Amino acid sequence: MAALAARSVVSLRRSVNRPVAFVRKIPWTAASSEMREHFAQFGHIRRCFLPFDKETGFHKGFGWVQFSTEEELQNALQQENHFIDGVKVNLPKVFHGDQTSDGEKDF
Amino acid sequence: MAALLRPARWLLRAGVAPRLPLSLRLFAGGPGRPHGVPGLPAARAGPVAGGLLNPARLYAIAAERKNDIQEELTSLRRTASQFDWALMRLDNSVRRTGRIPKRLLQKVFDNTCRSGTPGGNQALLLLRSCGSLLPELTLTERTEFAHRIWDKLQELGTVYDVSHYNALLKVYLQNEYKFSPTDFLAKMEETNIQPNRVTYQRLIAAYCNVGDIEGASKILGFMKTKDLPVTEAVFSALITGHARAGDMENAENILTVMKDAGIEPGPDTYLALLNAYAEKGDIDHVKQTLEKVGKSDLYLMDRDLLQLIFSFSKAGYPQYASEILEKITYERRYIPDAMNLILLLVTEKLEDTAFQILLACPISREDGLSDFGSFFLQHCVTMNTPVEKLTDYCRKLKEAQMHSSPLQFTLHCALLHNKADLAKALMKAMKEEGIPVRTHYFWPLLVEHQKKKNVQGIIEVLKGMHELGVEADQETYINYVFPSFESVKSVRTVLQENGCLPESSMFAQAELRSEAVNGNLEYILSFLKSNTLPFSFNSFRGSLILGFRRSMNIDLWSKITELLYKDGHYCQEPPGPTEAVGYFLYNLIDSMSDSEVQAKEERLRQYFHQLKEMNVKIPENIYRGIRNLLDSYHVPELIKDIYLLIDREKIDSRKTVQFTSSNLESTLERLKAENQPVGDVLKQLILMLCSEENMQKALELKAKYESDMVVGGYAALINLCCRHDNAEEALNLKQEFDRLDSSAVLNTGKYVGLVKVLGKHGKLQDAINILKEMKEKDVLIKDATVLSFFHILNGAALRGEIETVKQLHEAIVTLGLAKPSTNLSSPLVTVHLEKDDIPAALEATIDCFRKYKILPRIHDVLCKLIEKGETDLIQKAMDFVSQEQGEMMMLYDLFFAFLQTGNYKEAKKIIETPGIRARPARLKWFCDRCITNNQVETLEKLVELTQKLFECDRDHMYYNLLKIYKINGDWKRADAVWNKMQEENVIPREKTLRLLAEILRNSNQEVPFDVPELWYEDENDSQNSSLSTSPVENDLQKDVLKACQWKNNTDAYDIFLKAQEQNVVFKSKTYDTLIRLLLSKECLAEAMHVKDFAETHIKGFTLNDAANSLLIITQVRRDYLKEALTTLKTALDLKQIPSRVAVTRLIQAFALKGATEGIEEIQKMVNGLEDSIGLSNMVFINNIALAQIKNNNIDVAIENIENMLTSENQTVDPQYFGLAYLFRKVIEEQLEPAVEKISIMAERLANQFAVYKPVTDLFLQYVEAGKVDDARALLQRCGAIAEQIPIFMVFFVRNSRKPGKASTLQSLLGLIPELVEKEEAYTSLMKSYALDKDVTSAKALYEHLTEKNVKLNDLCLKRYALLLKNAGEPVPFPEPPETFEFYVKQLKESKENSL
Repeated sequence: MAALAARSVVSLRRSVNRPVAFVRKIPWTAASSEMREHFAQFGHIRRCFLPFDKETGFHKGFGWVQFSTEEELQNALQQENHFIDGVKVNLPKVFHGDQTSDGEKDF
Repeated sequence: MAALLRPARWLLRAGVAPRLPLSLRLFAGGPGRPHGVPGLPAARAGPVAGGLLNPARLYAIAAERKNDIQEELTSLRRTASQFDWALMRLDNSVRRTGRIPKRLLQKVFDNTCRSGTPGGNQALLLLRSCGSLLPELTLTERTEFAHRIWDKLQELGTVYDVSHYNALLKVYLQNEYKFSPTDFLAKMEETNIQPNRVTYQRLIAAYCNVGDIEGASKILGFMKTKDLPVTEAVFSALITGHARAGDMENAENILTVMKDAGIEPGPDTYLALLNAYAEKGDIDHVKQTLEKVGKSDLYLMDRDLLQLIFSFSKAGYPQYASEILEKITYERRYIPDAMNLILLLVTEKLEDTAFQILLACPISREDGLSDFGSFFLQHCVTMNTPVEKLTDYCRKLKEAQMHSSPLQFTLHCALLHNKADLAKALMKAMKEEGIPVRTHYFWPLLVEHQKKKNVQGIIEVLKGMHELGVEADQETYINYVFPSFESVKSVRTVLQENGCLPESSMFAQAELRSEAVNGNLEYILSFLKSNTLPFSFNSFRGSLILGFRRSMNIDLWSKITELLYKDGHYCQEPPGPTEAVGYFLYNLIDSMSDSEVQAKEERLRQYFHQLKEMNVKIPENIYRGIRNLLDSYHVPELIKDIYLLIDREKIDSRKTVQFTSSNLESTLERLKAENQPVGDVLKQLILMLCSEENMQKALELKAKYESDMVVGGYAALINLCCRHDNAEEALNLKQEFDRLDSSAVLNTGKYVGLVKVLGKHGKLQDAINILKEMKEKDVLIKDATVLSFFHILNGAALRGEIETVKQLHEAIVTLGLAKPSTNLSSPLVTVHLEKDDIPAALEATIDCFRKYKILPRIHDVLCKLIEKGETDLIQKAMDFVSQEQGEMMMLYDLFFAFLQTGNYKEAKKIIETPGIRARPARLKWFCDRCITNNQVETLEKLVELTQKLFECDRDHMYYNLLKIYKINGDWKRADAVWNKMQEENVIPREKTLRLLAEILRNSNQEVPFDVPELWYEDENDSQNSSLSTSPVENDLQKDVLKACQWKNNTDAYDIFLKAQEQNVVFKSKTYDTLIRLLLSKECLAEAMHVKDFAETHIKGFTLNDAANSLLIITQVRRDYLKEALTTLKTALDLKQIPSRVAVTRLIQAFALKGATEGIEEIQKMVNGLEDSIGLSNMVFINNIALAQIKNNNIDVAIENIENMLTSENQTVDPQYFGLAYLFRKVIEEQLEPAVEKISIMAERLANQFAVYKPVTDLFLQYVEAGKVDDARALLQRCGAIAEQIPIFMVFFVRNSRKPGKASTLQSLLGLIPELVEKEEAYTSLMKSYALDKDVTSAKALYEHLTEKNVKLNDLCLKRYALLLKNAGEPVPFPEPPETFEFYVKQLKESKENSL
């Protein structure tokens, strides 16, 4: 089962290019459906993953949401505060290596 | 000048006390009154907050003790830092939450024990924590804890003194522990420790607490015979004593007795009396007494009143709590004290009173974000408070808007403590309140039963779920129910028997999934065939993929796929089977790793072909997705096989043509001649010319083909003209560009270039228009852009163009392109300063403040004003500054200006203003300024004038002075500093002493003190002492030493040979130095020769620690391992402590040879010395394993490591179990089988034992070795690696110390991108870039972070600024003014405080 969890994470984050948001400080009351419900306002959720600790039965407080497009991801990232079950969760802005932003292309 | 000072004086006289924080600071020492210190009176020693550790006091102890420690050996350093750590943790906890959680104290205790022999201060710290600071423990538990600590530390060799006994007594008092004071005294005497006044006072309190006046009198008698003063504390204790003996009359009388004895009753006395009344429930007397105290000049603190509440409640009069609560003033420190009391009341089962106090807490409830009261609920759960009460509390907390989700929180606590009944009751309450009860709330309960394989328990939980209307989902079954049963089938039976088999398809889906995970495809096929339930493909696609991957039976793969495709039952939903199955195939391949696809290539091919035969089709767009996947997996060979499945045909391939530079122009002409479109080629050519900086040609070309020009060509041309300072042409081009496409946007840099060139050539309006356009078109403004703005403005300022500066600045700021920072606005002032128009400069500065709340260049303006003697203007400036920024700021501004301009007398008057105190940041700013500009005299004056400055860190001031002397090589003045410091009684820090010694040594002067060595430095420093031998010897000896100092080994050796010829024998120290030099230069033979000579000519000559260590290192390098081992043995026999490097090198050398015995021998030899050498056990573990691997005993090595990490009694904490060295070596040495097995081991440890350190280390080693793919694969297999943040942070910090590591750090970030937002990570990366002088990457990082709104710390900014400055680039923000050390310290402090 642990492998299953690991795989899911892996497939979510294997490619840097995928529009995946990492979510932290998720309250214990929320499960992946609550996460999905919250992030659905920003776009179509392809995958939503919130690993649970099989030793305790609680999740670990962080998870991943994969959107269909980068734009949707940006929508989510741009919103300043995210609340799930009334608790502010944290969306660290993901660092994309050394890519330059689109606005920078010279012409 | 004196007139100048008047306003300052006046201000200070009139409003000092309230306006300057000074008066507060003078009484500083923490929130408590002085009575918080040793003789804490008995009454206040009760179990309430009265006994809270006073943080200031803690630090005072720390400081005292630390001073003692510094005298001792360096090995104690670790103990000292351990102490600091423990102190900080405990102190923070008390300050924030009014208590120390038991777990924390236990942790600190364990760590202290592990550190070897805990020092006296550590023991004191631990013991003091065992009283009222543990409100969550019962009184007995606390005392037991204290005793455990006492015994354990004694066992470990801690020596107790009277302070420890007194601390223990205090704990006894706080915990109301019953003991015999006489026995206690006897015990002290046995160990020859003399009781002191504090001891007696506390013993009296102990007697009084049980109402034993006789006993107390006996001790009092002792005190009298010893002539010890009877203090207020004793009287207060006696009040308690009489009261508890039932004699209130005598208790009250004590007040009179005190007065007769000449001691005025203080707050403590009254508190004792108040408590005495409270214990009797005598509210009237309590009120009277409070009134009396209120009228006197005495003052009772909130914590005193809280104690009163406790006394009432504990004595059975909780009804009076509210009356006392009303009197509470809610001081700033109230909350932690209240928390302490609330927890204590819950422990005492007085939770209703506790709740009453909780509700009365002054908490801001507006934001609704911060919950208050969790600590109370949590403790109630621990103390088994009845659920009815708990739900009632929750309801009230919610009503009071103190806590947004109290029920959920309480449920969380109940689940954590595995209180199933409470949890169920709470969930029921939640349901009634309309709060959703979710499936996963039951998982912790199931986990508990699962651990015990308690089937009945699991059934109970499932029933409970059912009752609450919560349906178990797939995950519940698969993860938490099935594992406790032998088979999935048996679950079905048992559930059926118990009537909790759900009617929906959920269970069937769970079964399906569970079988799929086990790769049981046959089951799946038969299930799908026979299934009649409505079942969507989506719901089990994931499971199916897993099943496919677990089974290699391609026939079953195909059959299942065909069934899904054709049955219709499963792919009913709109897109239809083609889409669904196509998507499934995509997901299947997507879920596999590249290596997996590669390995299964043949099977996949078979599968695709079978599908083809079954006539299964997929849409083309999905095919493309799969093609891309296969491409990225490096198995393009499979593409043609999947291609067979496409529904339609035809994919067109694009072709690209590339022009070479040489023929562009001719191509252009040819195309033109042929009347073909030339736009693209023209643009390419122009870009090329621009890059060649050929403006002339480019412009001609443009003129020639004007009608064919495109936007891109113009953009490049505009930029080119700006670069060539051709404002006219640039503007023309810009206009043409706009005509071509008015909506086109240039990039930021080009706009800035335009503004610059237009501004410079007086086309102010055009420049402003460009700025406006930037705003309108929403051009991206980066920090670099802001910096460019500054340079444009500053350039204009230096040219003296007032209007240009003003208008451009105005435009930039009002358009909102940049914030009016001090830096950006300073040109507004500079322009006047450049023209020497000081009044205008001042006006500009003040204007800036009015508009933007900043004061650019105030220091420079003030200096100029003073130079010119503009008294009125100075007055004006000062009035302004003090009004806006406070007197203190004004005084400092003025002080620095006077200093800077050499008006020392005036400066002195300023700094002697009563009430002024040290502002370290400002002082440091000025010190650094002096050092940078090498203003020796100014700095000397600063140091001199601040001598009496309140709270001024004198050592640091002198340190700065030494820094400037070092730059100037002025040892004489440095030496004078040394004397001045003694005069002033300043205790120099180690770094100051080291700096001074360095200056003296550099000038060949004797160092008149013992230089503290850095523990991590190699002891390579050659120390030479003056010699008194014959002239010839002396000369030769001097020459040798000099050569040694210059590290000239050939010369030194030659002189030695010459001396040898003349039979001159040097002092042994000289040989030592020479040998060390030779060794460090790898001249082993020569070194040995010198050694032999010395040994034969000087009796008892032995190499010292450092030389022996070097010898070992050299021998190892030469591969003389046996000899090196002998050297080590010799050194150890001489009771020397060899260096860690030497021992480690030797061990490593043995390991690489596979010589396990060698390592084990060393292990035996250094046994007991590990700590002094600084050798970690891990060195042996790593190297023994490496040796075993070298001997092809991979399995043994791995088994050993696994045993160490999984056994019950671990010698090394898993989080410190660093195997990085081993991993690096096996990777470096390309020991592939070992790498593989190690990887498996690491993953196993992670997955099965939750030990993540090894797998993370391995991962990092892959990254370091540049094997990013391996690292990625590992990360994919073990996602938990990404969570090992602390390990990564250490990795970052470590790697940033070495140059050339930036790429390693970058690739790590590439793998785990979210790390970059960690402060340690980006600071380290920045440091790394700075080390590598990689401006481009640093910029990218900076921009990325600012874009993401990460607030960079000052240290990082400083580093970045310096990097930019060194590279001659502008700094896009005000550079943090202080030094690196300052920010390092600041950062450290802020980290400690935030913990």
